[in-house]
Amino acid sequence: MKMIWLIAAREYAENVKTKGFWIGILLFPMILVAVFFFQSMLAESAPTRHYILIDQSGQYAPAVEAAIRQEHQRRILQEFVAYVIENRKAANPEQTVANADAQIDQLIDDVDAGEVAALDQWLDSGGLNFALTLATPYLREDAPPFVEPREQFIQAPLPEGVDASASAEAIIEQMRPWLSGGRQLRVDASDGSDEDGSDLFALILIPAQVNNSIVRPSATPLAANQSAAGIQYWARNLTDVRLPNAIERSINSTIRNNEFAARGVDADIVREVQRTRLPVSRLDPSAEQGQEAVSVADQFRQWAPVGFVYLIFVSLMQSVQYLLSNTIEEKSNRIIEVLLASVTPLELMMGKLLGIGLSGITTIIAWLLSFLAFILFYPGNQAEALGQFLDVLLSSDLIPYFVFYYLAGYALYAGIFLAIGSLCNTLKEAQSLMMPMIMILMLPLATMTYIAQDPNGPVARIMSWIPLFTPFTMMNRAAAEPPLLDVIGTTVVLLLSIALVLWLSGKIFRQGVLRTGQPPRLVEIFRMLRQRH
Amino acid sequence: MQDNVLELTRVSKRYGAFTAVDDISFAIPRGTIYGFLGPNGAGKTTTIRMILDILRPDSGSINILGETSALNVRQRIGYLPEEKGLYKKMKVWAIISYFATLKGMDKRVAKARAFELLETYGLKDYAEARVESLSKGMGQKVQVLSAVAHRPELVILDEPFSGLDPVNQEVLEQLINDMAAAGQTVIFSTHIMQHAERLCDRMLLVAKGRKIFDGTIADARAIIPRRVILECQGDITPILQMDGILGAVEKSLEHSHAEPLSVGTRHWELQIQEHANPQLILQRCFESGIPLTRFDYTQPSLHDVFVHLVGSDAKEHHFR
Repeated sequence: MKMIWLIAAREYAENVKTKGFWIGILLFPMILVAVFFFQSMLAESAPTRHYILIDQSGQYAPAVEAAIRQEHQRRILQEFVAYVIENRKAANPEQTVANADAQIDQLIDDVDAGEVAALDQWLDSGGLNFALTLATPYLREDAPPFVEPREQFIQAPLPEGVDASASAEAIIEQMRPWLSGGRQLRVDASDGSDEDGSDLFALILIPAQVNNSIVRPSATPLAANQSAAGIQYWARNLTDVRLPNAIERSINSTIRNNEFAARGVDADIVREVQRTRLPVSRLDPSAEQGQEAVSVADQFRQWAPVGFVYLIFVSLMQSVQYLLSNTIEEKSNRIIEVLLASVTPLELMMGKLLGIGLSGITTIIAWLLSFLAFILFYPGNQAEALGQFLDVLLSSDLIPYFVFYYLAGYALYAGIFLAIGSLCNTLKEAQSLMMPMIMILMLPLATMTYIAQDPNGPVARIMSWIPLFTPFTMMNRAAAEPPLLDVIGTTVVLLLSIALVLWLSGKIFRQGVLRTGQPPRLVEIFRMLRQRH
Repeated sequence: MQDNVLELTRVSKRYGAFTAVDDISFAIPRGTIYGFLGPNGAGKTTTIRMILDILRPDSGSINILGETSALNVRQRIGYLPEEKGLYKKMKVWAIISYFATLKGMDKRVAKARAFELLETYGLKDYAEARVESLSKGMGQKVQVLSAVAHRPELVILDEPFSGLDPVNQEVLEQLINDMAAAGQTVIFSTHIMQHAERLCDRMLLVAKGRKIFDGTIADARAIIPRRVILECQGDITPILQMDGILGAVEKSLEHSHAEPLSVGTRHWELQIQEHANPQLILQRCFESGIPLTRFDYTQPSLHDVFVHLVGSDAKEHHFR
C-alpha cells in the first residue's frame, strides 16, 4: 500500500506539472468569463449600420421606417426588462413577481411569452419614459440609471449622382461600388465623432410596380425564375437577418391592414384580435402542491445532468489520455523494468490509477471552485441566474450521482486504457487500439440530448444496462428519478464490471508492460487473459 | 564466509520454438564482482530478468538472497536494465530519490543520499536539472546511481558501460569497486572484455542461451594456449619442429596494422604449451638465422578467450 501511494504521489505531482493539466484547469473559467463577459460587451459594441431606402412605389417607406424603429424599441424593451429584473428591490425575483406592480409584471410576462404583443403595448403606453416612471418605485435605491442602447440601423442619403427614379436594374448597377464595399457612404457622424465614411450595410429597393408582386392565396404561385420579385433587399452580410425580417414583418402587416381596409374590415379590431392570447402553463406533477409551475430552475434541473455528462466525458478523456501516454512513455523508456524490480505490476497499476484519478478530481474541483467564484464576484443578472442554478445543484441529489458516476466511469475506462497502453510501444500503435474505445465513448455524448428529453424511454433504459455507458446514461437520467430497479441494478452491474475490468486489465498489464515489438493480435490477448501468474 | 547470494540451477526459458536460455546453472559468492559475458542475443538479459522474477523460468530454480523470488527481497536488490530511460521531466535528484523510496528508503534520507551520490560521482552541478536536459551518457550515470542509491546487497547492472565515454567508464568502474569494497555483490553484463578483465573476480560466459564458461579470470585465460607472435621473412620451419609448439597460423594483418608490412614479411601466431619457454624460441630464431622484425610473447586476453569460445561455435567447454 505504501508503494501504491508513492507511485500515486509521483504520478500526481508529474501530471500537475504538465502544461496540459493547467490548460485544462484554466480553460473552463476562461470560457465562462468569455461567454458572459464578452458576450455583453460585444452586444454593446455592435457597429452602427447604414442602410439606404429607395421607395419608388411611394407607399411603403413609412412602414419600413416604422419597422426599423420597432426593431430598436424591441432592443430597448429587452434591455429594460433585463435591467428591471436585475435591479429589483428583493433578491429573489420569483417572490417579488407577486407583489410587483401588475403592469410591470405583465410586461415581463409578455416579453417571456413572445414579444409581438408586448412590443405593441410598450409603444402604446408611451415606451421607455412611461415604463421608467412605472418601474422606479420598485427598483433598488442604488440601482444605476438605465442606459438606452444606441440605434443600430441608421438611414443614409442616396449618394449623389444616383437616380432614384431609374429602373431597378439601373439603380443596382449604379450602386454596385457601394454594395460591394468598394466605396464608402458619406454620413453625418451620429455620436459626434468625426466619422464621415461608412460601409453601406443594406440597400432596400421598393420598385414602383411592387404591388403586382403581392402574393394572394387565390393567385398562382410565382414562377421560380422571378427570384427578385417584390421588395429587393441587397446586402453582403447574409447572417444578420434582423433587418430583413423586421422589414418583412412590418410591410406584411401594412399590406394586410390595407387588405382589411379594402375588404371593409376595421384594422383596429383586427389588432385587438391579434393581441388576444391564451397562455399555456407548464406544470410538473412531481412537484409539491402549489409549486407545480415549471420555473427556470426546474428546467435547469432537468438539463443539468447533460452538463454533468459532458463534464464526466471531458475529464475522463483527459485522464485516460494521460494514463495511456504515461504508460507508453514508461514502456518505451524501459523505466517499467526498474519499476517492476521495485514494485509489483498490481501496485504500479493501482498507483497510476490513483494518482491520475486524483489529478482528475483536482481539475473538477478547480472547475467547480472557479464556477463558484465567478458567481460570487461577477455582478449582473446572468450571474444571479447562475446562483439560482447553484442552489438547484446543491439542493438536488445530482452531486452525489455525479461523484459516484465520475469515479465509476474513471475506474472502468482507466482500467481499459491502461491495458491498451501496456500493450503498445508507441502512441501511434495505441491510436489504432484506442479507436474503438473512443467511438464507444462518443455514443453517450451523441445521445445525451435525446436521453435528457426522454430519460426513462427504451433507449435510455437499454443503454443504462450496458456497463460502458452506465456512468454516462445514468448520470443523464439522474434528474428524472429513474425506476429503482434501474438505479440499483445498473449500479450492481457497473461495480461488477469494474471489478472484472480491473482484474483482467491487471493480467494484461502484467504481461503487456514487458512486451516488446508489435501490439498483440486478439488471440494473444485472450491467451494473456487466460494465463495464471 | 563463502555463502552464495545467487544460485541458478538448470534454468531454461523458451519463447515459442526459440530457446532463449538453455539449462544454465551457476552460483555467485557474496562480495564478488561477477561479469556476465556473451554476444548479442546470448540470453543475458533474459537470464537477468528471470533472476529478478520479472520473467518466470520454464524450468529450473533460482535462489536469490535465500529466497525463491526476487520480489520478496527486492528492497535488497538494485537493478539497471539494458535499455536506459528515465522520466524526462523529473529533476535529477528527485528521480534518484524516488527510486530509492520505492526500495523502501525514507524520503528525507533518500534525498540526502541522492545529493551525496551526485557529488561523489561528479554530477553535483546537475542535481537540479531536468533529466531531458542531460546528455545520454550523463543520463545513464544518473540511472546507475538511481539503481544503487538504496545500498542494495546485490547490484545487477545490464550493460552499464555501453554508451559511456572513457572518462565516465572509469567513474563507473570506480563506483563498482566502491560497492564491492563496501561488501556489496555486483553482477554486470558487458561485451567489453577490458572491463570484465579489470573488474571481475569471476565471470560467466554464455552464447546462444548456453553456459560456455564459469570461473575466475585466471581460469578463463588458461583455456586458450599462450601465443608467440613472430614477424619475419622466409621460412619458420626450424621453430615449428621445437618441443612445446602446438602449431602456427599465418595471419594477414592488412586490416589491423596501421602500416602495411614490407614485402615478403609474414605474420605468424604460434601456439605454445604452458611449459614451453619463449626464451628458447627466440634463441632458436637467432640460431636458424631467421630475420625477425617482431617477437611478441603475450598472455591471452579475455577478448581472445571470448572469440575462441564463442567464435568456434559454442559447445559447452569442460575444464579440469
